[in-house]
Amino acid sequence: VPDAALRCRYVLCEVVSEDPRCRQCIEDRAVGLAVRDAIGRVHGDFGLACCSISFTVKYLNAYTGTVLLRCRKDSYRLLCSALPFVRQLESRNQRYPCFLNTLHVGGTIRTCQKFLIEYNRRQLLMLLQSCTNEEERRCVQKSLLSCSLTEEQCLSGNEDDDDDGTDTD
Amino acid sequence: MALSEQAGAAASFERRVLRSAGEHHYLRVRLELPDGGARPNVAQFKQLVVSALKELHGEVGAALPVDVLTYEEKTLSAILRVVSSGLVKLWSALTLLGFYQNRRCAFRVLQTSPFLLALAGNSRELVLD
Repeated sequence: VPDAALRCRYVLCEVVSEDPRCRQCIEDRAVGLAVRDAIGRVHGDFGLACCSISFTVKYLNAYTGTVLLRCRKDSYRLLCSALPFVRQLESRNQRYPCFLNTLHVGGTIRTCQKFLIEYNRRQLLMLLQSCTNEEERRCVQKSLLSCSLTEEQCLSGNEDDDDDGTDTD
Repeated sequence: MALSEQAGAAASFERRVLRSAGEHHYLRVRLELPDGGARPNVAQFKQLVVSALKELHGEVGAALPVDVLTYEEKTLSAILRVVSSGLVKLWSALTLLGFYQNRRCAFRVLQTSPFLLALAGNSRELVLD
């Protein structure tokens, strides 16, 4: 269990873009660079250096556009206030406009995972309501009934250094 | 904050701000340009201060309400006013500014006070006969 000085915050956000080709830019290096660039613009050298301690992209899912960022507890406000200033993702010389929607800020990966499962369940319910044919309806219903948090599911490998059980302030 | 907690956090820095000390802080500063050259006018001086804030603290820092109350081009000294919550950002930005138009420069902060009248007297410049 890390002591108070090493506690981190995990920011869960989703990448929203009108251009479907933006999905191919959702990779850890591109997203990390875009977020760092935004922090540098909004909070300057000091903010960039503060947030870069223990900053990393912990998890991302290109299909749903979900991104999980980690930063120090002292600088999560700098990070969260800079996220609306991310305007585009760039990867392999391709750039596409997008924006980041902050979904949840948690103290551990586990709380973010629990939130994400509930959030995805609600998104699937909304999709179910907008289904146009029976085939789609059956697929979505099947996915809905199968989502749950089991012990085998792990977002990105080891949680041993991150799980301290505290929640957000 | 209890005294025992202060003793525990021995290495951390703490700055106490009094609510009643007013909403602005005033700084008397002097810009040093050791390599000579053209002196900035008041607009260029303010631009320099804002660009220093922008470099260290980004767009948020550059948006800090800073006013140049007086400016003397001859001595390159000025009185700046800043909201009290932004004093640390302004002072740190002035400290770390190194260049003006590719010339070396340095900001010296001569006096600071939450009261403008306090900047009128300076015991360092007192001449004793």
